[in-house]
Amino acid sequence: MAAEPTTRELRELVAEYEFERGHLLPALIEIQERYGYVSREAIEVLARQLRTTPALVYGAVSFYSDFRTEPPPEREIAWCSGPACRLRGGDRIREALQYTLGLPLDGQSEDGAYGLRLGQCNGTCSEAPQVWVDGKVVGDLSVAKAVAIAREVKGEA
Amino acid sequence: MNERFTTLAAEARDRWDAARANGREQVNLCLDTSSLARGGAETLAALQEAVAAKGLNVDIQTTGSWGFCWLEPTVSVRSAAGTRTVLYHSLTPDRVEEFVQAVLVEAGELPELALGVVEGARSEQIGMLEDHPFMRGQIRRLMANCGQIDPENIDHYLARGGYEGFVKSLEMEPQAIIDLMLESGLGGRGGAGFPAGRKWDFLRNATADPRYLVCNADEGDPGAWVNRVLMEGDPHLIIEGMLIAAMATHAVEGYIYIRHEYPLAIERMNVAVEQARERGLLGEDILGSGKTFDLVVFTGAGSYVCGEETGLINSIDGYRGMPRIRPPFPAQAGLWNLPTNVNNVETYANAPLVLRHGAEWWSSVSDDEAKGTKMFTISGAVNQPGCVEIPFGLSVRDLLETYGGGTPGGVPLKGYQPGGPLSGVLSAEEADLPLTLAPFRDRGLFLGSGGIVFFDETTSVVDLCTYFLGFAEDESCGRCTTCFQGTQRAVEILRRIGNGGGRETDLDKFEDLIQTMSWSNCLHGSFAMTTVKLALRYFRDEFETLIREKRDPTRSLPGMITYEVTSPGDPALAEAAAVCPTQAIVEEGSRHGIVDELCIRCGACAEVAPNAVTVRDRFV
Repeated sequence: MAAEPTTRELRELVAEYEFERGHLLPALIEIQERYGYVSREAIEVLARQLRTTPALVYGAVSFYSDFRTEPPPEREIAWCSGPACRLRGGDRIREALQYTLGLPLDGQSEDGAYGLRLGQCNGTCSEAPQVWVDGKVVGDLSVAKAVAIAREVKGEA
Repeated sequence: MNERFTTLAAEARDRWDAARANGREQVNLCLDTSSLARGGAETLAALQEAVAAKGLNVDIQTTGSWGFCWLEPTVSVRSAAGTRTVLYHSLTPDRVEEFVQAVLVEAGELPELALGVVEGARSEQIGMLEDHPFMRGQIRRLMANCGQIDPENIDHYLARGGYEGFVKSLEMEPQAIIDLMLESGLGGRGGAGFPAGRKWDFLRNATADPRYLVCNADEGDPGAWVNRVLMEGDPHLIIEGMLIAAMATHAVEGYIYIRHEYPLAIERMNVAVEQARERGLLGEDILGSGKTFDLVVFTGAGSYVCGEETGLINSIDGYRGMPRIRPPFPAQAGLWNLPTNVNNVETYANAPLVLRHGAEWWSSVSDDEAKGTKMFTISGAVNQPGCVEIPFGLSVRDLLETYGGGTPGGVPLKGYQPGGPLSGVLSAEEADLPLTLAPFRDRGLFLGSGGIVFFDETTSVVDLCTYFLGFAEDESCGRCTTCFQGTQRAVEILRRIGNGGGRETDLDKFEDLIQTMSWSNCLHGSFAMTTVKLALRYFRDEFETLIREKRDPTRSLPGMITYEVTSPGDPALAEAAAVCPTQAIVEEGSRHGIVDELCIRCGACAEVAPNAVTVRDRFV
């Protein structure tokens, strides 16, 4: 994941994309894969390339929950919002994670060291209740285990 | 039959046969998302390392899932002579060394980890896989290759009859293909069950060109992963189905829209499309026929309403995924306002089977108006969260008991959700319903796409309603006031009831909302209240107890309970105080107590000090 993208880099990255060919989402996904987020400037550069308005591009960025508008945190817990997890105490785990980290869902610490994200069920329900810690499934959780993970991610343990 | 194809298939079969007769043992490890969650990648690395270190005469391959998701990683071992294959389960990384020694080095078997014999004869200790309680009664047609082939090797698919259905369709008139689909009775597998043949006929009769196919692989229903199992286990089956649809409708391009939560499915579909193109099965002049069809794998970016077909079309077109107002229907104005047909993954995947084996064979399994087999995933309060393929008509209870292994700890079943957040909840008294379309339609809901979630007596139905309406609120596209404000209002009322502030008039307010929200443009809004509607039908008592007595019979709603220290001297309380995220447990002398104002009802203290902390009703 690179640092702040330059205008020239962004222009080169999106140079082949055309709005008429359904390229808005693929372009946004590529930008986020490269830089970890979609910056204000990326929205403007992409809008020019696709011959549309920044408002339309931003509309998509805000509509789809996968897009970020600031650099991702160094460490992240994604909380699974699926029903199998909910039935096994997932919501109590969410409360405990939020209070331990001092963050709402989809929030991150001011220094960007850690964050908490709402994750969608992808059908690994045998692990419920689960979270993803830096992208890796940690399942069969209890609230106490979730608190321990949150403290570790926060750098307290 | 098409000569180019005959050669292509023969070559693939030769390579498949040669690889299976190379005098080496074959280890096939299931590596899908469920297996990865249980250490599958580490197991693979450990297996490769052990085989290399010991210089064993063993080939290691990866496959998709057999459906035993709760027992991953599963692995099958085929003898060097090719006469015997045994499937094992739970090969977690820590077991690899023992496994390699016993099975590969000493050429023995491990009955304690065996699920059954796939090829060869049963032994005294290991029965046949087809006799395993989880496999018995299943009819594996769509999943016939899952677990058995490498999904990233087109040779495997071709060697087992792959693309033969498409080649048949290549030589048929579009009308004949559609007639065959209609004769089979294949209904859309996304939930509504609309006949696939009729949908294809709409596109065939469209007047504009070019025309498009879309495969809806958004599978946004939480608790459903049947499409993932197919895409990760047998991606060419879906490509072949889309090719057949293209031959029937004159479509020239197709899009497979996959949610971003399925990176492995996206990767495998991309590999499969690339390999199909290399073999001349996609692109221009397919197999020398002069026909053209190509596929794009399109990644979603996190939006539930994109599973609605017109929302999905808008999403590919480059707009927010807001469902459109119909008509016009996609067959007239879909992608780029050109004629388009949208089907679910499982619908397309059935087409090759119909073409290969005929409509009569295909429709022979279900003694019902709904024909063919259906894949289901089972999750929630079950012992065995997994994926099955069964004929329509089996009862929900059979699904739970036979395949789901019953509820954990034998806690009585309270109810189930048949297929996604919009499909509502039914009580345990409806567990004898057959799994087919009509009984659910008769009860004002739909069976859905296959993700069945069970819940037991420990679950509050108000919590379930709050959860599913909260989901619908989050995912509302914002077009209809009835939907985005209606879901918001429903969540407010549900939360108030769940916090002890329920009023007698609330149930009437729900009735109003049910009525008003049914006016929404798409199913998202018009079916969002199904959960509440059915909860009021089956579990009205529970709402009334909460509202009138301010008591939660399940003692699980955070707003209705308090945590209390009942044995203040218990030494486990020190740990409870340490784990509490809000420092609500305070020490006074050698005794502990809970400050109720600080407590967030997460229950961590009751987990670590179960004998000292008790849950009490807050208002009673």
